[in-house]
Amino acid sequence: MRIKSALAAAAVVALAAGCGGGGGDSGSSEKPGQPVKLDFLSLAWQKESVAANKQLVDEWNKANPNIQVTYVQGSWDNVNDQLVTSFEGGDAPDVIHDDSPALSGFASKGYLLELTDKLPAELKSDIPQAAWDTVTFDDGKGNQGIYGVPFLQESQVIIANKKLLDAAKVRIPTTDEPWTWDEFAEVSKKLTKGDTYGVAWPMKSPVNKTLNLALNFGGTFFQTGADGKTTVKVGAEEKEVLQRIHDQLYKDKTADTSALGMGTADPLPGFFADKYAMLPVGVYLRQQVAEQAPDGFEWVTLPPLKGTTTEQGAVSQTLSVAADSEHPEEAMKFMAFFLNGPNQAKLAKGDWLLPTSQKAAADPAITTEENGWDVATGTAKSLVVAPFLKVNGFDEWKSKVATPVLQEFFANKISLDEAGKRLVEEGNEVLERYQR
Amino acid sequence: MTATATKPAPPARHARGRQRPRHNREMWVLMLPALVPVVLFSVGPLLYGIGLAFTDAEAGRNHETTFVGLANFVDLLGDDDFWSSMRIGLIWSVTVTVLQFLASLGLALLLNQKLFLRGLARVLAVVPWAMPPVVIGLMWRLVYHPDAGIVNSTLGTDINWLADFSWALPAIIVMGIWSGMPQTTVVLLAGLQNVPKELYEAGAMDGAGTWRKFWSITLPQLRPIIVTITSLDFVWNVNQFSLVYVLTQGGPGGQTRLPMLFAYEEAFRYGFFGYAAALGVSIVIVVLALLGVYLWRQLREAS
Repeated sequence: MRIKSALAAAAVVALAAGCGGGGGDSGSSEKPGQPVKLDFLSLAWQKESVAANKQLVDEWNKANPNIQVTYVQGSWDNVNDQLVTSFEGGDAPDVIHDDSPALSGFASKGYLLELTDKLPAELKSDIPQAAWDTVTFDDGKGNQGIYGVPFLQESQVIIANKKLLDAAKVRIPTTDEPWTWDEFAEVSKKLTKGDTYGVAWPMKSPVNKTLNLALNFGGTFFQTGADGKTTVKVGAEEKEVLQRIHDQLYKDKTADTSALGMGTADPLPGFFADKYAMLPVGVYLRQQVAEQAPDGFEWVTLPPLKGTTTEQGAVSQTLSVAADSEHPEEAMKFMAFFLNGPNQAKLAKGDWLLPTSQKAAADPAITTEENGWDVATGTAKSLVVAPFLKVNGFDEWKSKVATPVLQEFFANKISLDEAGKRLVEEGNEVLERYQR
Repeated sequence: MTATATKPAPPARHARGRQRPRHNREMWVLMLPALVPVVLFSVGPLLYGIGLAFTDAEAGRNHETTFVGLANFVDLLGDDDFWSSMRIGLIWSVTVTVLQFLASLGLALLLNQKLFLRGLARVLAVVPWAMPPVVIGLMWRLVYHPDAGIVNSTLGTDINWLADFSWALPAIIVMGIWSGMPQTTVVLLAGLQNVPKELYEAGAMDGAGTWRKFWSITLPQLRPIIVTITSLDFVWNVNQFSLVYVLTQGGPGGQTRLPMLFAYEEAFRYGFFGYAAALGVSIVIVVLALLGVYLWRQLREAS
């Protein structure tokens, strides 16, 4: 009896020891002749886009039997939490789809591979410098480097109900002659009639939208002093767009306050039912409008508004290579294929976003008038690097300070001055942590 | 449960005392298989986590972790977000625990009656228990949906419950009560079935009404069970994460950021592992302190 139990215990201990030691040495010892295996974490979510991604991976796998890529589906909702844990655990995917705001933090933490010397010349020259600027970051030790390949960019446009615009007899803006914010306010007044509001501002996630639009009047929201410390700045330029949106909500009453809590796609049913005449949204929303609009519903894509300039902040969707990847050369080869001109055109079409590749931008499929593609691609020249991209701690500022403050401001619970004060004071406290 | 435990122990007790040394050794050998995983997967990480709380551990390859003593705790005391998160956490856990207990007690009393289809009703009461928290969260997201949700269509309101600054916390509290009711109900029901019938008969002889019987027989008899289940519920609720994460992710503007969500964000979103560990340790201290006071008072009154 006693021997039996002692044996059982010994067996369990041996088993536990075996499990503990077994995990470490697999993976690194690959036999020659075996194909290299890469994991590709993709965040594509629209149906057409997922299909385009998977199709490109299949094409690659057929053409390159020695480098086999596995498509791994991720989600924008939790990708950054997921990546932090997998970087720390050392099992991050080789090729990572993300966006440039996230790369900033990952680059300074040393999780991503610096790509400057690895980029093929063809890929490097096909993408303009302005786009490369959105992925150039500090490595945490003071050196600048490229930490991803930018491939899709989003710009803000206005999607409008054509019938209501025609009935109100307003001037239809063009890319060369866009509406100014003043004109936009006037048009909104004309369009507000009976049950119809001129505009709906879906502000569930107000920060990126407001910060990108604020550049119309030169509002950057961040400044870096002579000592190299970044602080929050809310002055006259920054307040301009905030005040104008607030006026539409509470002074002109041309914007529906009940749309404030909505996410970007939520006002669509109201838009189709003539409740809202115009929606200021990202270009990708055209996909859902085109797909869901009832028969006979006519809509147009209008170019972005002009303040002192038409400049908008741009962030890019990116592909990066994990610093831990065992096959960085192969990963780069796959990325160069995945993001060449023709393939970027397919991806852009699948996601209804703007490609960074100049070859892709010339593709007739994304310069046609149909579904507002011409207006969308016309916005590309207004895109400049969003100033917040280079701010360490922006993510925490955004979720802890800016989101609640802007939500309260747009809900008319606090004044513009108070909102500005909180953005700066509470914001600087947050940024302080990242600059020790 | 407790009723059986209070029965006098068998006389074997004395015999066991004499053989203690040998028993002890065998006991350890027998417990070893159970102890190894506990030490490996529970005690180890726990000590590691407590250790982290006194360092400035951060995510990233460029960071050298150093010992910083109590600096994390000092920062915590000065962090407004920490205090508001603690306040929200206490409102959440106390409200949910109390209301959950009252609702479950009502349900348990009902299910203890000789009802038509009592078996079916008892099974139905346990159903929420069988659901994974993520499914519960998704289901309640539909319930609160501003356009398609059953709450707005029933009440005729037009409120975006989970995005509204003042309604978000009450909304998740209602969900919390619902999702925790089954285990509380089942435990209370088991307790009710152990109350000796003779007591009620004696009460009836003395002319006690329904209310008096409940107050003077049922409640005192249930007392140990009530203390146990409310303490357990309280700990579970303070540590609640998945339900709220699925439903609101701590939003809007941090109005539903429970302490655990706060710690999660600090660690896995912003990468401050040391700070998050300090937060975890503080939560444990607060829970132990509150629970200690509660149990001490209950035990003192009971004896």
